[in-house]
Amino acid sequence: MAVYKRGYQRYGGPRAPHLERLMVLPREAWRRLMAQRVVTALLALSCIWPLLCALFIYVANHAELWAGLDRDFSRILAVDSAFMLTFMKVQSVFSVLLAALAGPGLISPDLGNQGLALYFSRPISRLEYVLAKMAALVWLLSLVTWIPGLLLFVMQASMADSGWALANWRLGAGVVLGFWLWVALVALAALASSAWVRWRLIAGGAVLGFFFVLSGVGVLVNAIFRVEWGDLINPLRAAYGVWCVLAGAEMPAGLSLPTALLALVLMGTVLSLALERRLRAVEVVR
Amino acid sequence: MPQPVVELDDLHVTLGRREILHGISCRLGVSGSGRAIGLLGPNGAGKSTLIRTLLGFHTPSRGRARVMGYDCRKQRRRVLERIGYMPETDSFVASMTGVEFLRVMGSLSGLPAEIALEKAHETLFHVGLGEARYRTLGTYSLGMRQLARLAQAIVHGPELVILDEPTNGLDPAARRRMLDLIRQMKQEHGMSVIVCSHLLADVEQVCDEVTILRDGLVIHHADLEAERRQNRRFVELEVEGESARFAAALEELGAACVREAAGRFRIVLPLDFSLDQLWKLAADHGVSVRRLTQRRDTLEEIFMKAMGLLRQTPGEAVSNQEAPAHGGL
Repeated sequence: MAVYKRGYQRYGGPRAPHLERLMVLPREAWRRLMAQRVVTALLALSCIWPLLCALFIYVANHAELWAGLDRDFSRILAVDSAFMLTFMKVQSVFSVLLAALAGPGLISPDLGNQGLALYFSRPISRLEYVLAKMAALVWLLSLVTWIPGLLLFVMQASMADSGWALANWRLGAGVVLGFWLWVALVALAALASSAWVRWRLIAGGAVLGFFFVLSGVGVLVNAIFRVEWGDLINPLRAAYGVWCVLAGAEMPAGLSLPTALLALVLMGTVLSLALERRLRAVEVVR
Repeated sequence: MPQPVVELDDLHVTLGRREILHGISCRLGVSGSGRAIGLLGPNGAGKSTLIRTLLGFHTPSRGRARVMGYDCRKQRRRVLERIGYMPETDSFVASMTGVEFLRVMGSLSGLPAEIALEKAHETLFHVGLGEARYRTLGTYSLGMRQLARLAQAIVHGPELVILDEPTNGLDPAARRRMLDLIRQMKQEHGMSVIVCSHLLADVEQVCDEVTILRDGLVIHHADLEAERRQNRRFVELEVEGESARFAAALEELGAACVREAAGRFRIVLPLDFSLDQLWKLAADHGVSVRRLTQRRDTLEEIFMKAMGLLRQTPGEAVSNQEAPAHGGL
């Protein structure tokens, strides 16, 4: 029977499991993200560097292609921690750009017209709401970070000698763990800016500012005051320091692992608190 | 023992340093009975705070609140699965179409995916937004958004629907439609409804009981249905002719009459006495009835009395003072 003839009937059938209900939010958010052409275009653009890296690995593992070239050329074509760190640095920039474009549309539309009360009057908690929204962004960022990184590692492992994977397992683990940390930080920053800034352009600018301007400020602080605590507000340097340790490379001069970890934890905490403060069903005037 | 819809036990709620609810204890409604409860009170009485506490937005500082037998704090998810909430504020997600909005809200409340889409269409037609269901909510008028908010509150078929100022800002036609929908919700679909409103006439039209709050306390609870039943027994009568024998005949049939002036009576009719019998009795005694008024305690009177602005309602004057005296003629 046509819907308009049927009339309203109360639903009394079985309910969907809790996790299935929650998945509605990331699915909806993902649908909206993919509806933005500029996000799709940037996503496609972000795949160019991994493709070039894949080409590099192919060339590095086919000596016959550069047989006539200088012997030193083989050293340049090494797939090692320096190669992986370069790959991670480039992709981390793309991930921030993607987050700046996609992030602002995740929470601000719900906040803009006081829609949060409608969400939180359903059987979902604030934490679940944040995680569900974050899931869409994490998936998007994963497509340009740890997934291609892992694929490159697997590609190299399959093309190189049988012992290569075992000898360089830290590269694989480093690219996955390092990017997980990075993606969590970027997603938190994007959600926090979406929660606090209503206008998309400014919210996107805030994400870029958090990573690039704040990093610049951190460097300036260190240089002007001749201190090291500027590293605590430098997300790029802190993340890079952790990646170096994970990939088995040398840490940048003047940065220690505890400082880098402390900086990441501090920034994550501040961003989480900012989200917690903003995401409430009703604003209580005290 | 029937399960109350809402059960409050010494409920204290503090926001910041200010205590808003000062130990409310009461039981409202009966689960599954399809009754509507009106929540009344002046601004700042604590109505919205009470509703938000039931929804788990505020945590009680002392005491507890239960909805359908589930604790609002400890069993929040179970409570929210059974509730549909229409907030007072203009809440919506502007970029979603009506169908998307209801599908998402229905799914979050536990409707399986394919059912959620079906129910979204069904509910939008039910509230009168069928033709506008593919338009984004941002393009809806205020009245349409109000209906969309009602639709999202009932799309998952909740046992209890909480409506916060449902008729605010609506034109007369839209208001009538909203009240009809609320009536249908309780009468045809068996939902319990809590209506929080400043508009006493609206509450009076759709509610079966009212609870009045003031300064964070429940100061009065009235069963409007019982009051309405009782009100039908009070009649003010003005007659011409031989009224003494007519009054005596009425008393013989069990009515209590109080003579106010020549030919003017206040009468308390027995429960099984119909007005047709009264007309017949008047005709039999050659009395012509010039005026017959059935007293009706308005909700406004009940409210004003609870607020301390009125000493007693007119009905009480007859029932408490005069009727027992059997003044006669």
